[in-house]
Amino acid sequence: MLAHILLVDDEPSLIGVLEPVLIAAGYTVTTTSNGRDAIDASEQIVPDVILLDLGLPDGDGKEVIRRIRLQSDVPIIVISARHQEPEKVEALDEGADDYVNKPFEIGELMARVRAALRRRSARETDFTSCTTGDLTIDFLRRRVSLAGEAVKLSPKEYDLLQTLARNVGQVVTHKRLLAVGWGAGTTDTQYLRVYIGLLRQKIEEDSADPKLLLTEPGVGYRLEIAS
Amino acid sequence: MNRFRESGLLDPRNFKLRFDAPAMLGAAACIAISSLAAFAAKPELGEVASALIFVLGITLAGAFFGLAAGLTAAVAAFLLYNFYLTEPVLTFRLATGSDIAPLVVFNLCAAVAGILAGRLKDRAQAASRSNVLLSNLLDASQALQSAIRFSDIGATLAGLTPGQLSTSLRLFAVKNGELLALDTDNASTEFREAALAALRQDPSDASDKSLRAYRLYGSEGAVGVIVREEAMPDSLDAAFLTALCNLVTLAIERATLSERISESRATARAEELKTALLSSVSHDFRTPLATISASASSLIDYREQLDRQTTGKLLRGIVDECERLNRYTANLLEMSRLEAGQSLVKRQAIGVSDMLSAVLQRVRPRAGNRKFCRAYGDSEIAVVADAALFELVLVNVLDNAILYSEDGSTIGIEASADVAGCRIMISDEGHGIPDRDLNRVFERFYRVPRSETSRRGSGLGLAIAKGFVEALGGSIEARTPGIGGRGTSIIIVLPLAEIDAGS
Repeated sequence: MLAHILLVDDEPSLIGVLEPVLIAAGYTVTTTSNGRDAIDASEQIVPDVILLDLGLPDGDGKEVIRRIRLQSDVPIIVISARHQEPEKVEALDEGADDYVNKPFEIGELMARVRAALRRRSARETDFTSCTTGDLTIDFLRRRVSLAGEAVKLSPKEYDLLQTLARNVGQVVTHKRLLAVGWGAGTTDTQYLRVYIGLLRQKIEEDSADPKLLLTEPGVGYRLEIAS
Repeated sequence: MNRFRESGLLDPRNFKLRFDAPAMLGAAACIAISSLAAFAAKPELGEVASALIFVLGITLAGAFFGLAAGLTAAVAAFLLYNFYLTEPVLTFRLATGSDIAPLVVFNLCAAVAGILAGRLKDRAQAASRSNVLLSNLLDASQALQSAIRFSDIGATLAGLTPGQLSTSLRLFAVKNGELLALDTDNASTEFREAALAALRQDPSDASDKSLRAYRLYGSEGAVGVIVREEAMPDSLDAAFLTALCNLVTLAIERATLSERISESRATARAEELKTALLSSVSHDFRTPLATISASASSLIDYREQLDRQTTGKLLRGIVDECERLNRYTANLLEMSRLEAGQSLVKRQAIGVSDMLSAVLQRVRPRAGNRKFCRAYGDSEIAVVADAALFELVLVNVLDNAILYSEDGSTIGIEASADVAGCRIMISDEGHGIPDRDLNRVFERFYRVPRSETSRRGSGLGLAIAKGFVEALGGSIEARTPGIGGRGTSIIIVLPLAEIDAGS
């Protein structure tokens, strides 16, 4: 079955590009140009992924996300410009799944869409393990292996990695990771940086040049999908 | 010495004898009248009564015309009294010792009356002088209170100087450690040197001893110097000057503060503008860039999957968005040129209908099915302007009309000449502008908040149009409605070019 994408953007020229390309890539596409229509459309067509521009003419993208989240956990990928950084983080904390920064290349957007769809289908089936590159995380047995060899992780390291792995391919915000490791309300990302550093030493070939556990500056971390 | 000196009865100043004409005439008049009265009174009332009448005359002379007049009157009265009234009449003989008494009494009366009168007069004069000074101070204080800038303070003092002060003043303010002449553009070097010497607190250094400098101390040290020519020392002048110095000090401090406030306001405004500019650059560059990047990368990644028509559309989009970026860059550039005042260099006479046709060609690709209703023919209206900027301004206004109206609607373009100048009106039947925003649309980066879906402009177009039009001495305004009770009209009035008969 073709995945259905709801594309919400007020910029006709960008819709003019994305719509035919997404169709050519094999998706069904519905477009709207404001938040009100986006909320209506998300109820009517039940999309598999929503691509949502943060700078909508009728206001607050966060409000749109909140309204959609009331009735659906459809993956929402936020499209934002760099100057909307704080709004973007708020949108992610509000329930958006991922983001792409303008300007973006189509490959980056497609990767985000695929990751979102994969997570969606994995959630529906039995999501018991995650493999990316040489790294495998077995959620049932709480075991992590790298190229077949077991990796010893502290409980906190494992909790962080598990959260990233359950959202593999997608950004996980600082706030969410901090809540997992140190409880909700923790704001000092210093702890988090230290633990991410420890994790990288254990799972990356070169912890100074990470290929799997990537930093999203100012937003959070992403466990990259590697073949 | 600044206080008013108490003038007592024995103050030596009151014994000054001034035998001037008014005093003598006054004395003569008093004695003449009292003589007549005395002669008239003598037969009826006797010698004592006539003597008392003379005493009255002498007292009046002393009281009204001062000590000299009183004493003169006393001597004259004594002679008259002795010659005409005492026995033997018509002689100056002093018959007995008692004849000396009138002389002594007359002169004592004269002296006491004269001294008292002198003292009174001095007091009165002092009071009236201090009244004048007080009212001058009050005037100065009021004037200085309304002086907000340094130049106002200088002007206020300059206004005071001739009428209300016996000497002329120069005021210097200390700003960033430098002396700044406030009242005259070319304060003479002697004044400046005296002020500098005063600042250095080195009295021996003053090259010109005829100048006197007063340092003005504020809460942050010396704020200025008042230099005056050393005139006749006068205690009242000194008191006045001290008070004036205090007032000027306060005024300078206030001016300094208000200058600082406006500086920090200007900084804040500049910061605001910078933020708006950065946010605008971020949005207005990224949006077309996003389309260009997505199109180009799609053409690379999905070339096989895309049909011919889509490929063409993507390529067309790249070109359009490049044009949009170019326009935005031009707008930013012209904005900064307008702000730097460089926009008026390349002026030339431009045919308005020519320009409108050219602009229409440029915006037509973005206009969709909108109809342009032209009412300018090929009339020979010309204005003097920078051609590139004029074109940009008209493109901006027409782009707005396109951006904020529905496809298929009508856009009106009119040009006419009247006494006010060349009038260009561009109207649409689009979304319109709320009344409260009609003036704000000309502010930089101001966009009318809109709930309906539409592409947004950069917030620069009309600001540039306004800057351009005003630099040429014209005007621009937004009016609602535009066409048929809907939309907006932008009306630009520019001065007409003087048509040169030779060209």
